[in-house]
Amino acid sequence: MMVERSLKYLDERLGTASLARKTLRKVFPDHWSFLLGEIALFALVVLIFTGTFLTFFYTPSTREIVYDGPYAPLQGTHVSAAYDSVLRLSFEVRAGLLMRQTHHWAALVFLAAIVIHLCRIFFTGAFRRPRELNWLIGVLLLFLAMGEGFTGYSLPDDLLSGIGLRIFYSVTLAIPLVGTWVTYLLFGGEFPAGDVISRLFVFHVMLLPALLLGLVGVHIAILVLQKHTQFPGHGRTERNVVGKRLWPEQTFKSVSLLLFVTAILALLGGIAQINPVWQYGPFQPAAVTSPAQPDWYIGFLDGALRLGPPWDLNLWGFTISEVFWPAILFPGIAFGILTLWPWIERRFTKDRAEHHLLDRPRDTPVRTGIGAAGLMVFFIMFLEGGNDIFGVLLNVSVETITRTLQWGLLVAPIVTFLVTYWICKGLSRTRLRPAQVNAGVRLTRGPDGGYETVPLEPTSVDGDRTPAATGPHAE
Amino acid sequence: MTERDHQGSERVDVDRQTEHGPSNVELTGRQHQAERRAGIALAVAIVAGVGLFVVYFSGGQTQVEGILFAIAFGGLGVALGIWANHLLDAREVVEERHELTSGPAGRQAFEDALVEEVGPVIGRRSMLLKLLAGAGGALGLALLLPVLSLGPAPGNTLKVTPWRRGSRVVDEGGEPVQFNQVPENGFLTVFPEGHQGAADAQALLIHVRPGSLKLPADRMAGVPEGTHVAYSKICTHAGCPVGLYRAESQSLICPCHQSQFDVSDGARPFFGPAARPLPQLLLSVDEENILVAQGDFTEPVGPAFWDRGRR
Repeated sequence: MMVERSLKYLDERLGTASLARKTLRKVFPDHWSFLLGEIALFALVVLIFTGTFLTFFYTPSTREIVYDGPYAPLQGTHVSAAYDSVLRLSFEVRAGLLMRQTHHWAALVFLAAIVIHLCRIFFTGAFRRPRELNWLIGVLLLFLAMGEGFTGYSLPDDLLSGIGLRIFYSVTLAIPLVGTWVTYLLFGGEFPAGDVISRLFVFHVMLLPALLLGLVGVHIAILVLQKHTQFPGHGRTERNVVGKRLWPEQTFKSVSLLLFVTAILALLGGIAQINPVWQYGPFQPAAVTSPAQPDWYIGFLDGALRLGPPWDLNLWGFTISEVFWPAILFPGIAFGILTLWPWIERRFTKDRAEHHLLDRPRDTPVRTGIGAAGLMVFFIMFLEGGNDIFGVLLNVSVETITRTLQWGLLVAPIVTFLVTYWICKGLSRTRLRPAQVNAGVRLTRGPDGGYETVPLEPTSVDGDRTPAATGPHAE
Repeated sequence: MTERDHQGSERVDVDRQTEHGPSNVELTGRQHQAERRAGIALAVAIVAGVGLFVVYFSGGQTQVEGILFAIAFGGLGVALGIWANHLLDAREVVEERHELTSGPAGRQAFEDALVEEVGPVIGRRSMLLKLLAGAGGALGLALLLPVLSLGPAPGNTLKVTPWRRGSRVVDEGGEPVQFNQVPENGFLTVFPEGHQGAADAQALLIHVRPGSLKLPADRMAGVPEGTHVAYSKICTHAGCPVGLYRAESQSLICPCHQSQFDVSDGARPFFGPAARPLPQLLLSVDEENILVAQGDFTEPVGPAFWDRGRR
C-alpha cells in the first residue's frame, strides 16, 4: 500500500513513526477559552494566504500616475502607483476585492483574538511559572501584530491612512533627544518622503512576518514542551493533563474551527465593505477627511492623543512635545507593565511555585480588579478615539465628550477596580463553580478481588484550593 | 503541592483511559442521525464549491463569492464538528506531566560538557578574550553604519519651508491669489508659487471680518488691510491639515484630534491637545494686487520636535 510504503520510507530515514505516534497521543485539556489562541492562529493562516495573493498585484511606489481605470469619480486624478494598484486590484481583478477585504477583516479578527487570548491568560494566571517566557513572547507577538496591522493599513496610500502615517511621523518626532534622527532614518526624510511606502511594504511583507511567524513557532513549541494548563476539576492536578488527544479529537475540532474562522472571514470579506479607499481618495498632504478613525486596535492611541493635555515642555531651548505624554509615555508605561506583569505580580505574592492549574478570576480579586481597571483605561481611550462620531450620534459637543472622558479616565479605572474586587469577593463567597465538572466515582479494588465504588463530592474537588496560595490577594 | 495533587497522581496511571459514551462497534440512533447531518453539511459544501466555479467564470461577484466561500468552508466545518462531537470514539485521557528541569546534576553535566575542551584555553588567554570582545564590538558598531544611509541628516529642514520673501501666494492649482479674491468669512489653502502641494508650505488664507483681529503690531503688519491673515495649515499637535473653519467664531478646528485655534488671537489653541499656536505667514500685496509673502513662517511649522526652539 502507498501510505504504508511512504511511512516506511520516511521512518527508515528519519525515524518518524515513534515520534509521530507520541505526537498523536498528546493530550490537550478541553475548554472553550483555550481556543482563543487558535482563532488568532487561524486568522493568521488566512492572512498569509490572502496577503500573498495581494502582493502579486500591489505596487509599492509613490510614483505619480494618472488614474484611467473603471472607477469614474477618480478618472484623470493624479494618484500614486500604490493607490492605483489597489484600485485595480479592487475593481479589475476577479476575486481581488474579496481577497483584499478578507485580508483586512482577518487582520481585525487576528488582533481581537490575540487581545482576548491575552485577557484569558492574564485573568486565569496562566502566565505564572513556568510560563513567563511564553507570556513575554505572546506580548511581543501582540506588538508585532499591531505593527503588521498599521503598516498594512498604510500601504494603499489613501487619504485616511496617509493622515494616520502623518500622525505616526509626528509621534516619532516627539521622541526626546533622538526623535528627528529616528524619524528621518525611518521615513527617509521630511514627511512625505517618497521612500516611505516602499519601506512600509518591506516591513509588512518581510521583516515583521518573519519575526511574527518565527515567534509563533516558538510560542507553540514552548506550549507543547510545557504542556497546556487546565482548570481545576475532578482528577486534574498540578502533575497531570486531563483532556482529549491530539488525534483524533483535537485535530477534528481544530480543523473544524479553522474552517469556521475562514468561513466567517470570507463572509465578512464578501458582504461587509471595509476600507473603501476609493471613497477616501488618494493621499494629498493638504487634504483631510472627517471624521477620521483608524482600525480598532490603534483606536486607543488616537483617543489618547485626543485626550492628552496641551502641555509641552521647554528646557534650555529643547522641546518635549505634548504628543510625548499620551503617545509615548503612556503606552510605554502601560505596555511595560503588561510585559513585566508576571514578575511584578511575583514581587507581591512571593509565589515562586510552578502552576499548571489555572486560577478562576474570582479567586484572585486583586489581579482581576487590576486587569479590569487596565481594560477600562484602554476602553475610555478607545471611546475618545470616536469622540467626533459620538458627538454627532448623541448630539453632544465634542468638547463635552472629551472633558467627560478626561474625568472618566481619572475616576473610572478606580471604580472599575473596586466594583470588580467586590464582585469577585461576592462570587467567591457563594462557592458557585460554573466550570464544575462531574466529580464521578472512585473505584477501588479490595484485597479480596472485589470492587468498591465511592461517589466523589464535587465541592471537595476545588474546595481545598486555598486562594491565598495562588495569586495576589488582599486578605 | 496540595493534598489533592498527591491523591490525583496516585489515582491515575500514565495513559489510563476512561471511556465516556458507548463503544463504536455499532452506530447508535444518535450517531446515525449525526452521520446524516454531517453528510448534508458536506453536500451543501460541494454545492457551494460548484457554485464558486459558476460565479467565477461568469465574471465574478464579490458578495456572492464571499457567501459561497463561507458556505463551503462552513459546511466542511460543521461536518467535522459533528464528526468530532458525535462520531469519534471520544476518550478523556490523563497524561502525566514530566519534570521540566534537568536538575542540578543535569545542569552540572551540561556545564562540564561546555567547558571540557575550551575551558583551560580561555582561562590562560584572557588577553585574547578581551581583544576578541573588542574586535566583535568594533565590527558590530561598524555594521550599523549603513543604517545612517536610510535618511538624510535632519539639519534645519524641519525649521524652514519653501516660503521666501516675495513668494507669490498661489492656490492648489498654481493660480496666483489676488487681494480680496477670497470673500469675507471665506478661506483658501495656499502655497508659495512653484511649490504647489509642498507638505510643509501649506497655509490657510482667511478673510476675516474687519477689525476682528487682535494681534501685536509686528504681526498686524503682515495682515493686508487687517483682513487677510494666513496661518500654517499643519496642526502643531500631530501634523494633520487643519481643514475646518468656523466663520462665526473665527476658529480653526483640526479634524484629527479636535484642537481648536482662535484665528482672531494669533491662532492660539483654546481647546484640545495642541499646545502651540499655528505659525503665521506675514503677507503683503504687490503692485499687481497679488498677495506675496514677507518671508517664511514666524516659527517652525507642524508638531514639536526636540531642537525646535534652537536656532
